[in-house]
Amino acid sequence: MIISSGALEILVLAALVVTVIAPILLLGLLIRDWKRGHLW
Amino acid sequence: MNAVNSAILDARIGWLILALFSMVWVALGWYWGRHAKKLDDYVLAGRGVGLALGTATAMATWVTSNTTMAAPQLAFQMGIWGMLGYSLGSVGLLMFAPLAHRIRRLMPNGYTSGDFVRIRYGNTAWRVFLAISLFYSLGWLVSMGMAGGILIHALTGIPYHYGMTVILTICVAYTLLGGFRAVIGTDFIQALLILSGLVVIAFLAIEKVGFDEIHQTVLEERPELLNLMMPAAIMFLFNNLLFGVGEIFHSNVWWSRAFSFRPGVGFKAYTLAGVLWAPIPVVAGFVALATPALNLNVPAADMVGPMVAAKILGVTGAVLVLIMVFSALSSSLDSLLAATSILVVEDIYRRHFKPHASASEMRRATSWIIVGLGVLTWLLCAPRLTTLAELLYFTGAFVASTIWPIAAGLFWRRVNPTGAIAGMVLGSAAGLYGYFAIGFYVAALVGAAVSMACVLLSTWLAPRMFDWETLNETHPAQMEAP
Repeated sequence: MIISSGALEILVLAALVVTVIAPILLLGLLIRDWKRGHLW
Repeated sequence: MNAVNSAILDARIGWLILALFSMVWVALGWYWGRHAKKLDDYVLAGRGVGLALGTATAMATWVTSNTTMAAPQLAFQMGIWGMLGYSLGSVGLLMFAPLAHRIRRLMPNGYTSGDFVRIRYGNTAWRVFLAISLFYSLGWLVSMGMAGGILIHALTGIPYHYGMTVILTICVAYTLLGGFRAVIGTDFIQALLILSGLVVIAFLAIEKVGFDEIHQTVLEERPELLNLMMPAAIMFLFNNLLFGVGEIFHSNVWWSRAFSFRPGVGFKAYTLAGVLWAPIPVVAGFVALATPALNLNVPAADMVGPMVAAKILGVTGAVLVLIMVFSALSSSLDSLLAATSILVVEDIYRRHFKPHASASEMRRATSWIIVGLGVLTWLLCAPRLTTLAELLYFTGAFVASTIWPIAAGLFWRRVNPTGAIAGMVLGSAAGLYGYFAIGFYVAALVGAAVSMACVLLSTWLAPRMFDWETLNETHPAQMEAP
């Protein structure tokens, strides 16, 4: 049972989208924590 | 093949990058640690870590050099299931989320996973657990130290002993100067560096080669990599999942984070870290599938990731990979040094030798232990014995046997010490038998199954009620003058 090109594309693009969002999300959370004085 | 001749980056550029990042980490370590005089500030960052730093430190610590280097290697050897199997490592982080919440609530003054096992199951179980935990920590430290030397040598041609010494010295230096704040602060930056580097390399692989061409060439040259019914890879998938869960559930690396988080942060931080970590092996692994389309001749499977990056991006790609690998190694090594040092100080030094040690004495002892662990790791890494690098895989049986005693002990009042001890001892023994009789890919599976049977059976036969309040014990740091 071979994975199709389309399925591979969806899998990798979905993973890539999360990987792109991750640093943006982390920076956003850092700014929010910093403003609340909850950094550490 | 001689790695110096096949290195993808000039040694001078390698030294420049190592020097630059080393200076940054040490300077940040000093800056963040300059006010950490008290024990809790130094070993647990004051117990008030927020969601952003909490998530990033859990994620970056779990991205070891294995994630950035072995995920492409596994995709190159096991195809789609290699990528997906590795990404199941995130299950450990996700499953630890409710445990982290409960740990912080039940043990607001706790320091180590050893504290929990000692109070919950008594001294015998605690000593068995300590043996497993310290053995695993040392195995992870040695495998990271050796990976540092080997990867820096393969990427830049810098001799193994120089690379290994640099990475260990830098991690010891900034962990010593800044304590846990230095660890989680640098982890945040390292997480951003790893994610950004990975995104750039993957986007360029898609841009320059394209999905259809990658799929077509793999289908022509190595169709088994696209096969969804590869039995060895499916077996690897489940073993990797249980190994990861065992590593996270028992190790003080993850417990110390749970203790350090602000109340209410643990569950969210570990859940988010698991979700954000899961795609990393898929993206890193996908890069390796471009190998046939790029006509690359890969001399060693573990170098496939850097070779694809260098082929697509030239020197820039190789620099990116070196920064990612250096970040991945540092984020794991610093966490291990910090978490293992407090485990040794609290569970060995204070509980075995100096029961009346003050918080300031423990703070000083932690610094000495960080240096000692660095020296011990260097001594074990220096002979470059490959058997030592494989030590970590060997620990799969041991760590998987702790899953049930830890998880059931945290949530289930009736679990008794006998079941926990039998689970850890018999689970480890059965896992080891599986390792030698069948293969490495069943060690964690067998260890976890036997441990589960022991815990469930003994609880059913002899339930013992446990008072959760006893986990909230007083510690010297609470008696310190403000």
